[in-house]
Amino acid sequence: MIERLALPTSVRDDIIAHARAKAPREACGMVLALDDQLVILCCENVHPTPVTKFAIDARVLHQVLTQIGEENIRAIYHSHPATQPFPSPWDRDGAQYPDAFYVLVSLRGPVPEMRAFRIGRSIDPDEKRRWVREVPLA
Amino acid sequence: MAVTVRLPGVLRDAVGGKVKIEASGATLADVFADIDRRHPGFRSRVLDDRGTIRSYVNVYVGDIDARDSGGLGTAVPDGSEVMVIPAMAGG
Repeated sequence: MIERLALPTSVRDDIIAHARAKAPREACGMVLALDDQLVILCCENVHPTPVTKFAIDARVLHQVLTQIGEENIRAIYHSHPATQPFPSPWDRDGAQYPDAFYVLVSLRGPVPEMRAFRIGRSIDPDEKRRWVREVPLA
Repeated sequence: MAVTVRLPGVLRDAVGGKVKIEASGATLADVFADIDRRHPGFRSRVLDDRGTIRSYVNVYVGDIDARDSGGLGTAVPDGSEVMVIPAMAGG
C-alpha cells in the first residue's frame, strides 16, 4: 500500500499563503493534528540566513512537544522561495523527526508547487547518509 | 536524583527506541553520563568534542533552556523532566 499524506485544501492554501507572505525568506512551520483536524502552526524562521535556511525557535518546539505531543506533529513544512520543491542537502541533514512528513512549497514559478517527503537516516549513528522518499499528496 | 528524560525525534535511536527513560544525576552532565553508561554513544549524539551541547540539540530542564542556565552544569532537581530536543531546521 502506497503511503499518502492527506492535506486538506485549506491547509495547503494556508501553507502557500505563509510562504508568499515571508518571501524572499523561507517560511516554516508545522502541520498539527488537533481534535481530528489538521491545522498549521506558522513559526518564525529564526535562522540567521533566512533567505536560504530555516530554523524553528526551540522555545516553540518545546511548547509543541510538551503541550501537543510529538505524535501530533503530522508534518514539518518550509518554503523554497526560488528553488525546486525537493529536500536540499541541509534539509536532509537537518531532518531529525522521522515520524513526521516533510512538506516543501516552491515559489520559483508563477504557480506554487507543493510536494511531501519522508526523510530518514541509517540506524547506524556513524552513518551520515539520509534517504528521501516522496509521498503523494492526497 | 531521579529524573525523567524525554527524547523526541531521532534521539530515541540512541537509547534503544525509547521515547522516555529514567536517569539519575544532580546536574545535566551527570544525567547524560548516567545515560551514556547504559547506552554507549548517547553522549556523543548530544555533546560535541568539547563537551558542550551540540548546536542542533536543545536541552530543557522543566521549562528552562539549559543554554540560559549554566549548560551542562544546570541543576536537575529530583523528579524533574529533562527534554533533549533535536532542532527543526534545514534550508
